Amino acid sequence: MTTAPETTAFKTNETYTPEGDYQFRNSAEGVRRLPFPFPDDDYMYSMNLEPHVPAGDGALRAAFDIDEHYVSECAHRDQMLRDMPGVHYLALPHMMEAQWDLLELIFESYARDFPEQFTLTKNGNEWRWQNRLLGIDDSFTFGDPATLPMDPMEYATRQAQGEFVVLEEKDNTLVIGAGMTTQRADYSLKFNLGMSFFEFHGPVPKLHDMGILDRALKFLLRMKPGHPVRRVNWSLTVNPRLETSVETLPEWAPDRATVDSENAGEKVYLRIELQPLHRLPRSNAIVFPVRTYLVSLAELVQHAPNWAKRIHRALASLDHELVDYKGFHRYHAAAVEWLSQYDDGAPLATGYPWAPDGIQPNGQ
Amino acid sequence: MLITGIKSRPVYDELTPMASGLNHLAAAQGSGGKPLVRLLQAMTPDQLAATDVLYSTESFTGQNYLAELQQFKVRNLAVFTTNADAVRGLDASLADAKMGTRLYLSGSEGFIGTSMQVATSYGMNRDEVLREQAGSSARRVWCAHCGHYSENVTHRVFTCPGCELNLIVRDHYSGRLAAFQGVKADGEVPGEMPDNEELDT
Repeated sequence: MTTAPETTAFKTNETYTPEGDYQFRNSAEGVRRLPFPFPDDDYMYSMNLEPHVPAGDGALRAAFDIDEHYVSECAHRDQMLRDMPGVHYLALPHMMEAQWDLLELIFESYARDFPEQFTLTKNGNEWRWQNRLLGIDDSFTFGDPATLPMDPMEYATRQAQGEFVVLEEKDNTLVIGAGMTTQRADYSLKFNLGMSFFEFHGPVPKLHDMGILDRALKFLLRMKPGHPVRRVNWSLTVNPRLETSVETLPEWAPDRATVDSENAGEKVYLRIELQPLHRLPRSNAIVFPVRTYLVSLAELVQHAPNWAKRIHRALASLDHELVDYKGFHRYHAAAVEWLSQYDDGAPLATGYPWAPDGIQPNGQ
Repeated sequence: MLITGIKSRPVYDELTPMASGLNHLAAAQGSGGKPLVRLLQAMTPDQLAATDVLYSTESFTGQNYLAELQQFKVRNLAVFTTNADAVRGLDASLADAKMGTRLYLSGSEGFIGTSMQVATSYGMNRDEVLREQAGSSARRVWCAHCGHYSENVTHRVFTCPGCELNLIVRDHYSGRLAAFQGVKADGEVPGEMPDNEELDT
């Protein structure tokens, strides 16, 4: 049952924008519960899919994780949707069944995993949804869009942490049919909507040659409802800025030129993406959520010294093509140099932190 | 035919008569007239009599195949002076199209892409359409920042007429927008421009 949320202090005054002065900080507990994505000192792409079953008492305990940033992230999403309508949320017209599937999955998961915060009451198709963190208490008819103030997917994902991309199965591939992406890393939903699996992965280096995409697609097409899978991915970003879309690149790209080996600890953030994929039961679509966590290098050093050593080694040995693709060519050396002060070279455990004997944030 | 490492770029076909078609609709632009002539040559008299042709004489490279196209006994040949008009003509033709219509497109990538947007809006399946790229490899580019579409972009770096930012053309193509993606070229350090180059040469 729940342990984390009862002790979680949900912050309400955080911001993820320069206008809001980046009022964002992780607590020590918030750092140590992260799905830290470096199981080894060397990093290379892999499919790294595993069954999405509860693991540990951190971010992998729930089907869809929420943490101390839940309230402020929902406020940020609302702000982004108002600032740039038609850019961050889009759904092709035939995706309505998948939208209801997704609403059901998110609400059922939240209500089951965080009963203190959420309650879903069903009486046939008459549903009541209570979200105590955001002060929402709504009743609607499942399957009838007229009973909600907006699309079911927009309604549900405005109350959820992370991005959600819905893929429909068509001609033996997966095609982007809808997305709520106010936190996307250097891509455009508007541009990618309607693209197939190989098309939207087009710009990623090495994947095609390594055969990873073929295997990943075959695996995903075999997914069944009720048997989700997950993977983790990561990047670096400058400042705790969630919205780094292609559209707003002129606003955030200059930040990359502000990092040096003195300020890298405060400026550079590890951006962890937890991706728990689910097959949806009615529409047969697959939802690809990207739950994003931001943590500064200084916060890792302070609260998770083992992870700081590990990320130092992984970054120092990272393939240059990946450095370019992930967009931190300009400050990669500064981040490595800053981290080197905190790495004594001691051997570290291998494996993800939620695996038996995996790398823990601190201690031996 | 364009052969590049761009994974999201469409894979083009070669125009040949689709035997399953009861009616044939062929739209071409500029250099795309050449594959169209080849297509019509390969058709039987019955197929020609069930074929409507739309041809735009707008051409980036100055190629015009109208005289050759006029030699064929097709049901109808409609001529347009701009590609945009030809695409609108295609829209009108598809609005009246009957079951069993097969579509053939040839010309620049931008023309084929915008024609495909129309075909998709009528629910045409990929196996009912053949596309052959011809002529210049100029690209149609969508500006990620202001949404402007630029036709006939030939260089990696150019100035967006919509927002006047310097854009770099990414090797990433959206079929829905029928365009490549343009993003600010000197995003990290204003004035620090990447190398320019001719596209697809």
